[in-house]
Amino acid sequence: MADRRYETLVLIHPDQGEPGVKELAARIQKLIEEQGGTVSQVQEWGVRDLAHPIAKQRRAFYVLFEYRAAPKGLDEVQRTLKLMDPVLRFVSVRRPEGAPPAPPRPAKRERERDEADFEGGEFEGMGEGEV
Amino acid sequence: MPRERSDRRGAKGEGRAPRRRGMGRRKVCRFCADKSMLIDYKDARVLGSFLSERGKIIPGRITGTCSRHQRQLTVAIKQARTVALLPYTTAYP
Repeated sequence: MADRRYETLVLIHPDQGEPGVKELAARIQKLIEEQGGTVSQVQEWGVRDLAHPIAKQRRAFYVLFEYRAAPKGLDEVQRTLKLMDPVLRFVSVRRPEGAPPAPPRPAKRERERDEADFEGGEFEGMGEGEV
Repeated sequence: MPRERSDRRGAKGEGRAPRRRGMGRRKVCRFCADKSMLIDYKDARVLGSFLSERGKIIPGRITGTCSRHQRQLTVAIKQARTVALLPYTTAYP
């Protein structure tokens, strides 16, 4: 079956530390290649604050993989990712053939804005209770 | 329906003209107006502008997004929520 373009965004446990993340990213890349995929791009976004807690963590290390693989290969990649303990969560998306490659992302933190959102939310939540 | 009303007010606060019968400015789908604007689940900044203050998806009839792009938008927002780029709601413990 023809190869398809995919991308997978993986959230890695922050306790892994930078070297642990690098190693895991290399392992995932190898995993994709073992399934007959060709990785075109790996982006490390760095540690980001999560919009909601996952597995009791408030932040995670984000890594994005862009690759071509067969649908069967993707199934296997996803199955294996689910078994990896340091992987908090991931999402795989099929990309259209003509789509431009994902633009590189500066590992920017939006802490201030996120915190402002959080406070605003609490306030509104209280207001709603009265209505 | 106080909740719905407060959401609507939030949307208007973004500079939308209130709906008026007969006349008034017609809302245009932002993704149709600017073809270079792509709907991408990784772009939390763009997607976030289609969420209410409570993190709910704002209906297309309020933001003016056409039905085709609204469909793509909801999928992208839900994907972004899965990887915690966007909130499901505010106020987490």
